[in-house]
Amino acid sequence: MSGENWQVFMTFGFFIILLSVCGLYCLLVTRNLIRAIIGLELLFKAVTLLIIVVGYVTGRNALTQAIVITVIVIEVVVAAVAGGIALRVFRHTNGLDARELKKLRG
Amino acid sequence: MPSLLIFIPLFGIVILNLPFGKAMRNAAFWFALAVFIVQIVLAITHQPIFWGNEIEQMDAFFRVNFSVDQLSFVMLLCIGLVSLTSLLVMRDTIFDINERFKFINLLMLASMGMSGIVMVTDIFTMYIFLEITAIASFILIAFEKDVYALEGAFKYMVLSALASVLILAATAILLLGAGSASFTAIADAIHRTDNNLIAVAMGLFVCGLLIKGGMVPFHGWLPDAYGAASPAVSVLLAGIVTKAAGIYTLIRALNSILGFDANIKALLLALGTISILVGAFAAIGQKDFKRMLAYSSISQTGYIVLGFGCATPLAIAGAVFHLFNHSIFKSLLFVNSAAVETRLGSTDMDRAGGLAQKMPITGFTSVIGALSAAGIPPLSGFWSKIIIVVALWQAGHTWYAATAIMASIITLAYLLAMQRKVFFGKLALGLEDIEEARLGIRAASVMLAAIIIGFGVLFPSAYAIFIAPIGEMFIK
Repeated sequence: MSGENWQVFMTFGFFIILLSVCGLYCLLVTRNLIRAIIGLELLFKAVTLLIIVVGYVTGRNALTQAIVITVIVIEVVVAAVAGGIALRVFRHTNGLDARELKKLRG
Repeated sequence: MPSLLIFIPLFGIVILNLPFGKAMRNAAFWFALAVFIVQIVLAITHQPIFWGNEIEQMDAFFRVNFSVDQLSFVMLLCIGLVSLTSLLVMRDTIFDINERFKFINLLMLASMGMSGIVMVTDIFTMYIFLEITAIASFILIAFEKDVYALEGAFKYMVLSALASVLILAATAILLLGAGSASFTAIADAIHRTDNNLIAVAMGLFVCGLLIKGGMVPFHGWLPDAYGAASPAVSVLLAGIVTKAAGIYTLIRALNSILGFDANIKALLLALGTISILVGAFAAIGQKDFKRMLAYSSISQTGYIVLGFGCATPLAIAGAVFHLFNHSIFKSLLFVNSAAVETRLGSTDMDRAGGLAQKMPITGFTSVIGALSAAGIPPLSGFWSKIIIVVALWQAGHTWYAATAIMASIITLAYLLAMQRKVFFGKLALGLEDIEEARLGIRAASVMLAAIIIGFGVLFPSAYAIFIAPIGEMFIK
């Protein structure tokens, strides 16, 4: 990896880490199911960005493009299923509070 | 033609969902049954005409590259057996034809995803199949649509998505080092360079897989998901999903990419022992049949990881054999819990009692399953545990071996307590006119019990054919 590429990688790396910290924070503090899904989406966005940067610095754009498109598709499916589960929870409990979901304990 | 194991179920699902009316819905069960039975037969016979030849145009068109070795054969056999069991249990627990049809589609999707996981040769395709399996499993857990099932599904969803993010991040960093996603290219790159980034990537990867496999300290989702799911789904999840998605991928990644170095070995030994102990002690206090089996599952997975952590050929052969045994005996115990649930309406152990008088087949097979789980000779669970303990002893890990033996006694204690509460003792009030479980559940439990006894009694030949080649695969 040359010096310039390394600099690009580190610049993007900063934002990737920022995004993933936001996502993790969102996932940890929230009690709302929809916000938890948004937190997960933020994490997926961070990792998508990481894959794009890796493609840029290694010069293998074709491979990483294919990977990124697949990841986006999978992410949408996960979000749709999670949204469906949240909708069901809403219909059962009339709310989206994760504290309602404490019937089972790990 | 290994890729047919993926494409036939996949196109089968597409064709079954074309709007041809009710005939397709009735055909779905028999199609799934045929697919699973063919998979079992092919995995047992190692039929060279099927496994050796490739359909080159199709593989080139879909750009897939599958390869199969001894370990994949064992996993494919487990996947076929457990999916078949789940299908039989489904037949006796879900009666509405539309619900059945949805269930069969999802079951085939999950089973196809797992068959993909065990045959892939590059890390990104592995991730895709992991996601297919995981998404099919979320929907299956939420299938009951009551609040418990939704809670279990949501917890599993969040943690599994987190694991996916970790695995993807690791994949990206490995791409940075290797420039290609195939196992061999990454392994070469790791041996060429000694980069800190690679260590970070492997750390993320192993963490992600441990979440998927439900190992302590990432086990929080597992009892909720197993306990809240409908009976047929519990069988599938406990029997094979977490093993294929977490444990198999871990061993494949370690063997094909990273190699076993001393740090990883120490980590796996420690995590395995902690999982064994936490799972066993937590199982003692459970009042619900399925939750107890879920904790027991964590504990048994600990034995598998302990075997991998020892990393001698004998230990790895023992660990893979225990993986096989675990998927058989844990499926059997979950089938028994399904029988109790269909007849009693709950799996609360305090409400049950003396069921063996009324349900002799369920009672007898559950004794076989419990004794195999606890490692009582001559059942097959004994042989795999003794191999792991002997291998640990030979490698000088005497304390780990001693812990494994002690935990085995705890396993026996809680499983016998369960037997006493649920199946033996005095018949509980209000259960006088209870009947034996329906045909599908009976057939599944007899089949699995026969496999346990058969593998136990015919152990020497089974070991030579199935298990010993796996250990040799890992000598380099």
